[in-house]
Amino acid sequence: MTWFSLLVLIPLTAIVATSAERGWSGYVDTITNDQTMAAIQLTVGQAALVTGVNIVMGTLIAWVLVRDRFFGKRILDVVIDIPFALPTIVAGLVLLGLYGNNSPIGLDWAYTDRAVMLALAFVTLPFIVRTVQPVLEELDHDVEEAAASLGASRLTIFRRIILPSLVPAITAGAALSFARAIAEYGSLVLLSGNKPFSTEVVSVRVLSFIENGSTASAAAVASLMLAVALVVIVVLDVIQRRVSRRG
Amino acid sequence: MSIEVTNVTKKYGDFHALDDVSVSLPTGQLTALLGPSGGGKSTLLRIIAGLDTADSGTVAIEGTNATKLPPQKRNVGFVFQHYAVFKHMTVAKNVAFGLEIRKTPKAEVKRRVGELLELVHLSQFADRLPSQLSGGQRQRMALARALAVEPTVLLLDEPFGALDAKVRKELREWLRRLHDEVHVTTVFVTHDQEEAMEVADEIVVINQGRVEQVGSPDELYDEPANDFVMGFLGEVTRLGPVRLRPHDVDVSVEPGRAGSFPGRITRLLRVGFEVRLQVELDPEVASGAEPVSVVLPRSHARGLDLELGSRVWLTAAVGAVTVPAMVAV
Repeated sequence: MTWFSLLVLIPLTAIVATSAERGWSGYVDTITNDQTMAAIQLTVGQAALVTGVNIVMGTLIAWVLVRDRFFGKRILDVVIDIPFALPTIVAGLVLLGLYGNNSPIGLDWAYTDRAVMLALAFVTLPFIVRTVQPVLEELDHDVEEAAASLGASRLTIFRRIILPSLVPAITAGAALSFARAIAEYGSLVLLSGNKPFSTEVVSVRVLSFIENGSTASAAAVASLMLAVALVVIVVLDVIQRRVSRRG
Repeated sequence: MSIEVTNVTKKYGDFHALDDVSVSLPTGQLTALLGPSGGGKSTLLRIIAGLDTADSGTVAIEGTNATKLPPQKRNVGFVFQHYAVFKHMTVAKNVAFGLEIRKTPKAEVKRRVGELLELVHLSQFADRLPSQLSGGQRQRMALARALAVEPTVLLLDEPFGALDAKVRKELREWLRRLHDEVHVTTVFVTHDQEEAMEVADEIVVINQGRVEQVGSPDELYDEPANDFVMGFLGEVTRLGPVRLRPHDVDVSVEPGRAGSFPGRITRLLRVGFEVRLQVELDPEVASGAEPVSVVLPRSHARGLDLELGSRVWLTAAVGAVTVPAMVAV
């Protein structure tokens, strides 16, 4: 508990305290500033979108890695982790090289909100794959056979037997993926161009507040993102409880 | 005939799990597939259920050729050794699963589930999760779940294998009574000969992918077709040219009976009501042979005044089941 306090609780409290420095009206002003609002909207929107994509694609990739047999599976299994392992700024460089101005594949997405999504999708890909994969591996094959002998089609087996067992892992992965996405900085600064009102994300906005010497504003935005992250994690948890109980 | 398996062969690489197996299992009976682990009995059961496919041969269930049918269309109930419960569903939901996916009306599902839980004595656990049940209860739930869809045949793969000895004994007696009530054609796999003898109407002995013998428990015990069946269904020992059960060896403390084998008691062990002896035969009659195992009731042993080192003369009892001993075992 002491460890947890030192590591998490005290810094979080400090942020909230700093954000309160300029009083309630100062807090509201900072947050309702047009440029800040645009950044928050972009970040939360893209993070939600990417998490949605990850839920589907991550589960699918985990499924393929566990259930299918094909040449190069082991390699793919390792490659999945690269976005984790790569320093994010390097990831940004890689993406800029491929989807930037001189794109070798003719996709110039630099400085658009698609660039933001791409960067977020790249760095958050492993989360759901890696949380779902072990659960899928541990799943009892007997259970699926039992359902089949009771007359359940493959789709029914997936929906009523497999999916409920995966839901906790999927939501855990989704929470991680969302949290990472709203906090991402390194991988998207290069590709997104940080244009105010169009591709500037919250983390960049916070940094510019700090660079301008306005710690209180930075803390205000940070505390709001903290609240957003908290709400999303709670909502995901509630969904998970609902779904896994329904069966 | 309810299940007709004809010339089924199944190979895993070079290993013959089943080698040209044909069996007919009659309607309404409780049949045991008995044999050592890895002998192919579970594979046969899974092929009947459609969970595995045979390399060649056919399976017919109630006259319909089911060889190519997927498990969903075979209308068999299957019970697994490790229960295969749906963890996230309550006991009642587990049992209702088969009915719900058949779009049975809600009221009908509720009634059937109530009936089945009554049958397996789990009514008061309807709203619990499987993780809150004991192993024996989970297996009864799995049985109710399999019976819910009114299967043509009920297949059980080592159903009591994961349970402790006492529960196993209770459950097998309970299965026998249940079968007498429900009368669904039932096949269960076991490697425990006592379980098979106690519960089944008919036993199919399977070893190394082949059917060794089919018959009632008494037939198998009294008239084993070969050495393997005899050895698998109970203890055997060798006395001169024949193999027989240790309790079929007559012990006498005086010579005189024709064809008796003289020897000396080298081990004497009392276990409950019986006495187990090891008798080393004199070298003149059986040089280098294994000691003979003999089992006799305690009162009888006391009457003969047997002790370690006593000289005894052994004969096969009148009417004993014997098979010729294999040479050079």
